[in-house]
Amino acid sequence: MFRRSPHACQTASQVQIRVDGIAVSVPDTLSVAAAVLQVHGWQGYRRHHDGSPRAPLCLMGSCHDCLITVDGQPNRQGCLVPVAEGMQVERQGGGRHD
Amino acid sequence: MIESRHADIAIIGAGPAGMAAAVRLAEAGVHPVLFDLNATPGGQIYRQLGNPQVGAGVMGEEYQHGRSLVEAFARADIDYRPLSRVWWIGRKGTGYDLGVVQHRAQSWHAERLILASGAMERGWPFPGWQLPGVMTAGAAQILLKQGALLPGVSPVLAGSGPLLYLLAWQYLQAGQPPALVLDLASASRYRALLRQPRRAWHGRNYLLKGVRMIAALRRAGVPVLLGVDGIQAEGREAVERVRYRHRGHWKTLPAALLLTHFGVVPEPQLARSLAIPHRWETGQQAFLPERSEVLAVEERLWVAGDGGGIGGAINAEREGRLAALEVLQSLAGKAQDGLARERAALQRARRRDLEARRLLETLFRLPGDWLEVQPEDTLVCRCESVSRGEVERAITQGAAGPNQLKAFTRCGMGPCQGRQCGESVARLLAHRTAQSMDAIGYYHIRPPVHSVTLGELAAQQET
Amino acid sequence: MRQDFLIVGGGVVGMAVAYGLARAGQRVTVLDERDDALRASRGNAGLTWVQGKGIGMPRYAELSLDAVQAWPAFAEELQARTGVDLQYERRGGVDLCLDADEAETRQAEYRTLQTVSPRLAREFEWQYLHRDELLEHLPGLGERVHGGTWSPHDGHCNPLYLLRALYAASLDLGVTLHPATPVQSVARRAGRFVATTPRGDIEAERIVIAAGLGAQTLAPMLGLSGAVRPLRGQIIVTERLPLIDQLPTPQIRQTASGGYLIGDTHEDAGFDKGVTLNMVNALAAKAVRIFPRLSQARLVRAWGALRVMTPDGNPLYEASKACPGAYNINCHSGITLAAFHAGDLARAILDDCLSQDFPQFSGERFHVPA
Repeated sequence: MFRRSPHACQTASQVQIRVDGIAVSVPDTLSVAAAVLQVHGWQGYRRHHDGSPRAPLCLMGSCHDCLITVDGQPNRQGCLVPVAEGMQVERQGGGRHD
Repeated sequence: MIESRHADIAIIGAGPAGMAAAVRLAEAGVHPVLFDLNATPGGQIYRQLGNPQVGAGVMGEEYQHGRSLVEAFARADIDYRPLSRVWWIGRKGTGYDLGVVQHRAQSWHAERLILASGAMERGWPFPGWQLPGVMTAGAAQILLKQGALLPGVSPVLAGSGPLLYLLAWQYLQAGQPPALVLDLASASRYRALLRQPRRAWHGRNYLLKGVRMIAALRRAGVPVLLGVDGIQAEGREAVERVRYRHRGHWKTLPAALLLTHFGVVPEPQLARSLAIPHRWETGQQAFLPERSEVLAVEERLWVAGDGGGIGGAINAEREGRLAALEVLQSLAGKAQDGLARERAALQRARRRDLEARRLLETLFRLPGDWLEVQPEDTLVCRCESVSRGEVERAITQGAAGPNQLKAFTRCGMGPCQGRQCGESVARLLAHRTAQSMDAIGYYHIRPPVHSVTLGELAAQQET
Repeated sequence: MRQDFLIVGGGVVGMAVAYGLARAGQRVTVLDERDDALRASRGNAGLTWVQGKGIGMPRYAELSLDAVQAWPAFAEELQARTGVDLQYERRGGVDLCLDADEAETRQAEYRTLQTVSPRLAREFEWQYLHRDELLEHLPGLGERVHGGTWSPHDGHCNPLYLLRALYAASLDLGVTLHPATPVQSVARRAGRFVATTPRGDIEAERIVIAAGLGAQTLAPMLGLSGAVRPLRGQIIVTERLPLIDQLPTPQIRQTASGGYLIGDTHEDAGFDKGVTLNMVNALAAKAVRIFPRLSQARLVRAWGALRVMTPDGNPLYEASKACPGAYNINCHSGITLAAFHAGDLARAILDDCLSQDFPQFSGERFHVPA
């Protein structure tokens, strides 16, 4: 799990999103992938079509291992979507998606 | 037919090269459109610098250096389009057609184009690199910049390259020192360095910086092991242990997070998508698009910054300006006397800087015979779960080039479009068929360069 | 070692013939182009298909029927030899009609075909099904689809794995493969055939030109027809999606890995095998029209390929009169016909009775004065 440093600048406002239905508050500067890594860590992030567990590798748009459902849209690149107030995020742990 | 928006000049990427190009053009009264994947400008290196989340003491001076550029970019009159995915690029007439998704799909035609899509971390297979708990050093740094996020556990850092040490040092400043740093650079590097005293002198600033960081880590009690030549991540649902080979012996360490870095290479998709010729550059160990002295790859197309070859942020900024000057000249249709001195100064500085940088290439050279000695079940293609053994079998069954290999195995057919496995596949083929990387070549890169849904495209068709 | 056959072209046509000849004990050498060649074998939908074949030439429809009947044994044999799963399935297929006009034209064509060929009247089974009747074969079919012709003969496979299996099986049978060896010219010299390549001359007793569009220049050198032209097709494929029990169509089919393959475009674009923005958008719109659920599906790849078209669109199988021992094999349906190419066609080449067995497919049909 990643946690916010105690030395962080106090310049980020918080937004509320839901991750797997549960409301959480995260800095508004985060991507969806970063937010999930803060809330849940890398365990349980996603299941690959081959059944193996996966989680973000690069966070810069190239590896596509951060795929996640955002506001009902599956397989979005979590690292390229900034969090927004009221956003519904669902981890794809079930192996239904790629 | 779909209506296209028109731009005299488009820039792709808002890292140092793209920002600098845009700012310089705006200074000259030209207003480019700039597409960028991210929500805020800065690229990877200056990410979140407009609203920094961590203090300068943690990030170091390189990060702060970008401040003036980010501020100038914010002030300049630019049609800046954040969160835009350029999924399509193609030649049309004398210019380029772009398919862009920004909220919805749109088509653009740009008469002139600067590609400034930067670099990505090299895909470098080792056993277990697909496990949750393996991330790149770049990803860890993105979390730090984006939200001051630190790992709740002491990570193991492994790989080769300045970023590995920079991250270790930043974690140290932030009060979360790594458990261990494993340096996987080729063992022959010091010998190579001794043979190149002139290169060492040119790069003395890099050397000094590195030596200081390693000293700081060691002072803080972080072990830094040089000459490590094997790494594996193990675990069921996530990393539980890291194994590494040092001086001929495998050792195992309990660990939950392994942060790796194997250098950076140009993000290839846009240039490859246009079938721009590339060549393998042995110093950088990467395919680079062929550019002229003035960064042109075609009459109206320039590649600026790390996307054309790794030169770092300051060089990228310079290349952005250079590309902007070329665009200004192209718009005027003739040489611009007033720009000659500026161009010459930029080119001088660029040459000097790139020369110094060759030291880093020598110091952080990856072992050339890595992939073929990894266990057979090591994944080469993460997206389609294709192992090294499967790639080797396909080569035995007649796959003679990267594209035939892709067809035979699905390697490179997944959502990452070969970004993670393209180099590995070329390396395996080159090794097995005893040919050069240039003779082997690379995948044909097909659209989409970035993700787009059928619905987004269909909607465009109907409006 | 003396070679019996030179095959010019390592695509799915050349490899099927090479495999068929090698299986019959022949010593075969295959000369293939570079990795970046035109490669029609990698740009098709993977259909093993009878519908729509031979409109205007019933013999071709009959040949396709023979081929799809040979396919199950062919697939099983290749799979057993190589361990490569061809993902072959023959559970029937549907050729969709988006509107009533298309439906009418299609049915008229099939009826004409059956009027002129008694065999097709007997054996070619098909039925027009309206959209609602198609739902059981194509769950979720969009409301803006009129219907389609269903036929039990049709099926599909993974064309890339077919090619891989043909390579693997041929290598196993001792076929010599020269990749990245483009043939610059072919000639008959002292009773044998010589292919000139950048790697030197390569010889054999007989030669098969299976060079796709490369036949334009190579075939006439041996008195064979070079009358082929490119017809571009563009294809898009989606990310993997949950597998649904449904039939393939030429317009769209779900592959074994879960992606939807969308294609069936025809354009004259010369030798440009690229994709165009307009066509990709149009294909996306068509896919969503056929299956509205695909609106959220992500595109993973779009590419173009050049079909190899003879003047009448039907296969070209000819033996050279000027240079006995030289053969020209060319078609745009190399997947469906693969089972036939590896079987009866390879045998006809081996026995040198191509013009007797398949006279309708000779290049001479293009030279008949009007």
